[in-house]
Amino acid sequence: MLQTTFNGIITGVIMTLPALAVTLLFGVLKFPNFAVGAMMTVAAYMAFALNAQLGWPLLPATAAAALAMGTLCIGIDHVTFKPLRERGGITLMVASLGLGFILENIARFAYGNSARSFAIELARPFRIADVRMNQEQMITLGVSTAAMILMYLLLTRSPMGRAMRAVADNPSLALVRGIESPRVIRWTWFIAGMLLAVGGVLIGMDRALEPPMGSNYLISVFAAAILGGLGSPLGAFVGALVIGVVSELSTLVVPPNYRIGVPLCAIAVILIFRPQGLFGHPYIRK
Amino acid sequence: MTSYLVLLGIVVCFSAILALALNFQWGLGGMVNFGLTGFYALGAYASALLMLRAGANSFFAVLGAMAVVAAVCGLVAFITLRVTEEDYFAIVTLGVGEMLRLVALNEDWLTKGALGLTGIPRPFGDVIAPENYQYFLLALAVVLLLATLWFLNAVARSPFGRLVRAVREDDVVAATLGKNVLWVRVRIFAIGGGIIGLAGSMHGFYYQYIDPTQFSNIVLAYGFMAVIAGGRGAHRGAIFGAAAVMVLLEGSRFLKDLIPALDSDQLAAIRIIIIGVGLILLLIYRPQGFMREYRLQTELK
Repeated sequence: MLQTTFNGIITGVIMTLPALAVTLLFGVLKFPNFAVGAMMTVAAYMAFALNAQLGWPLLPATAAAALAMGTLCIGIDHVTFKPLRERGGITLMVASLGLGFILENIARFAYGNSARSFAIELARPFRIADVRMNQEQMITLGVSTAAMILMYLLLTRSPMGRAMRAVADNPSLALVRGIESPRVIRWTWFIAGMLLAVGGVLIGMDRALEPPMGSNYLISVFAAAILGGLGSPLGAFVGALVIGVVSELSTLVVPPNYRIGVPLCAIAVILIFRPQGLFGHPYIRK
Repeated sequence: MTSYLVLLGIVVCFSAILALALNFQWGLGGMVNFGLTGFYALGAYASALLMLRAGANSFFAVLGAMAVVAAVCGLVAFITLRVTEEDYFAIVTLGVGEMLRLVALNEDWLTKGALGLTGIPRPFGDVIAPENYQYFLLALAVVLLLATLWFLNAVARSPFGRLVRAVREDDVVAATLGKNVLWVRVRIFAIGGGIIGLAGSMHGFYYQYIDPTQFSNIVLAYGFMAVIAGGRGAHRGAIFGAAAVMVLLEGSRFLKDLIPALDSDQLAAIRIIIIGVGLILLLIYRPQGFMREYRLQTELK
């Protein structure tokens, strides 16, 4: 039980970064991006190429992959989503679906379907109070916590963070107050890309690298973001932890194959009882 | 070669039925269905199981499969849309589709899991000689496709069809005029679901064997591609779109002979990349597709 809870916390912590990316992207761009799973996959393979094939240590490899993914996301937005910005949420969602197909299959084309893993030294798992932990899980905890603190500071203390929150809150008002939304959108993509890259590497470390690795987390990540309230960064953090722990604990009662049912049921329950999520504002359509 | 063309024709027909269903839900009704693959699999499995386990004949198996998928689709739409927006609906359909696929993969007692179901009976399979059967199946597929087209055209031109378009364009206005938007959407999604069930049954008749790997994301990719290429809301367009996409997909098999260095995984990846790129390009440069949606025409031009 304790062990399962701990594993759940790790699963949840892994999802915090992509859930934050989803919520930031939704907040600023106002559509759910279905390509985030594939973006994680591609970034994880980039880190893999630097780490396992060129022999870099994982940390600089991840940093490089994060920068590359952030830049790539700006490029992708410019080519794909910018021309469609005025066409409404459904068109953008379908475009993101297509984008997800492209990205995931670029990874499949380059590395095939077989599972791979990063070149990291294996360390013996250790025990604290009867809970088995390993080094990767510690790295995951450390990296995610650091990234969350950084994100918190960025969103609350920096001018760009304030601008991002302003655009998310009310785009027209932000525009009137002289906030350049194209710049804000570029930064949002850059930050989301970096978060997704780190998230992708953490998933690859936790499980293995394979083309559907990112999209497997898609439902859970969306559930986390919805539970927290789409658009709310704090909510994404709490939502990811809750979904992670509940998913792991559910394996005690339901067959593990159906773990994906948990986030799905979570979405259904949230939509019925509290559509705005835990930390979101009631969404009023204009 | 004739035989190959006949088989291709059958595939095009049931893909076109699937595209018509998506076109009805998304193009006409404005409801994205990212769970298309799962519902398609549900249709194929439901009809196969009704025949293999319950001993139903193929006619009632198809009707049963249509009813099952329609019911599931209607339920999903009802639960989700009671409270919420399109954004969430897309996510939920994606999740439900994935869940259906997992059920097919894991419930060995029912679906034989990864092994798949074999020996699916075909309509009049014991009456018609095997060497002529493909011609019969093609004829059946064409008839069903035309029937679906006729039915959807009738629906689109009926008062209900106008209501559907009104809800798609602006649900608030429709609601203000006293229309029950939720109920309209549930019906759209369920009708589309029934047609997906029909396409799934045809899939089973054609392959006589179904397993979870047949229902991969490529079904979803080409479904959307076919509808966008054909023009959202245009029924005939969806058929041409499906035909074009299937011929493209089949044609890309010959790519292997051209570039022998590619293995089959890479080839599959290239096909999906091509579809993804096509999807985005069409959305950007030709969002209206290549055919127009039916509109009431006035006499005066």
